[in-house]
Amino acid sequence: MSSSSFTRRCNTMMKVPSSFKKEFLKKWIVGLQVCGSLNKNMSVSERKKAIKLSADIAMASARNGSTCWSRALIANASKQDANKLVVEHVLGDDESRKLTKQLPVGTSMALARKIRVIRSKKNILKRRSGPMRRAARKSNSSLSSSCIAKRLVRKRSQVLKSLVPGGEFMDETSLIEETLDYILSLRAQVDVMLKLANATELVTNQK
Amino acid sequence: MSSRRSRSQAATSSRITDDQIVELVSKLRQLLPEIRDRRSDKVSASKVLQETCNYIRSLHREVDDLSERLSQLLATIDADSAEASIIRSLIM
Repeated sequence: MSSSSFTRRCNTMMKVPSSFKKEFLKKWIVGLQVCGSLNKNMSVSERKKAIKLSADIAMASARNGSTCWSRALIANASKQDANKLVVEHVLGDDESRKLTKQLPVGTSMALARKIRVIRSKKNILKRRSGPMRRAARKSNSSLSSSCIAKRLVRKRSQVLKSLVPGGEFMDETSLIEETLDYILSLRAQVDVMLKLANATELVTNQK
Repeated sequence: MSSRRSRSQAATSSRITDDQIVELVSKLRQLLPEIRDRRSDKVSASKVLQETCNYIRSLHREVDDLSERLSQLLATIDADSAEASIIRSLIM
């Protein structure tokens, strides 16, 4: 990735558009209505799952496939048959067909293969810097602290990868970009959900 | 400190420069509520990552709590009021 396209990608991807909350709300309501029509008498916990599922799919769909995490979230949700109807209705038929077709097992394996190839190339580059590493090894104390630091960063990156949808497939830079976008989207999601909950409480005089 | 660490990583990720990674990490820092309040400029990468993970987890928890709250609210709506029927038809 050249540096100019990198900056472009950063700028387009990391600003959640102002219409995001509106799009999210619209799609979320569509999802809620689909769930409500599928199952008229839900228990509190069933309804909670439906609310959460609709919210997540709406949040991902509102990014319009522009981020990896949103595509991964939808793909993961679509794996369960129970969720497919909600996904289709929220996304609209065309988009959902596109997205669910894009990530069948074959494609994700091809993607994983590509990443393995890139990683092995990186390893070759790492090996070339061998002599420089050997020089650094001479000062033992600095090696152990930087080793520990690297290991810690790697461990924490692994945790982050498990938290961001689709994180297992991302390299470090993409992971950070996707994390930024994911956090912004999550915040917007929480904001809208909070407002709806407060409004519902007010309107139905349940305080 | 942290730039030295990321430099050795950046060297292997070819065309992404060290500056870009630092820029991304600083953007991430700005999002995190705890780190933003601290004045220090020297926050390590691992600390940022840890705070990020904690923040994402807390956001997930908030979504979960809000879903629970909404579910309870919708369950206990007074069936007769006009507002309740509006909410019912709008949401579920």
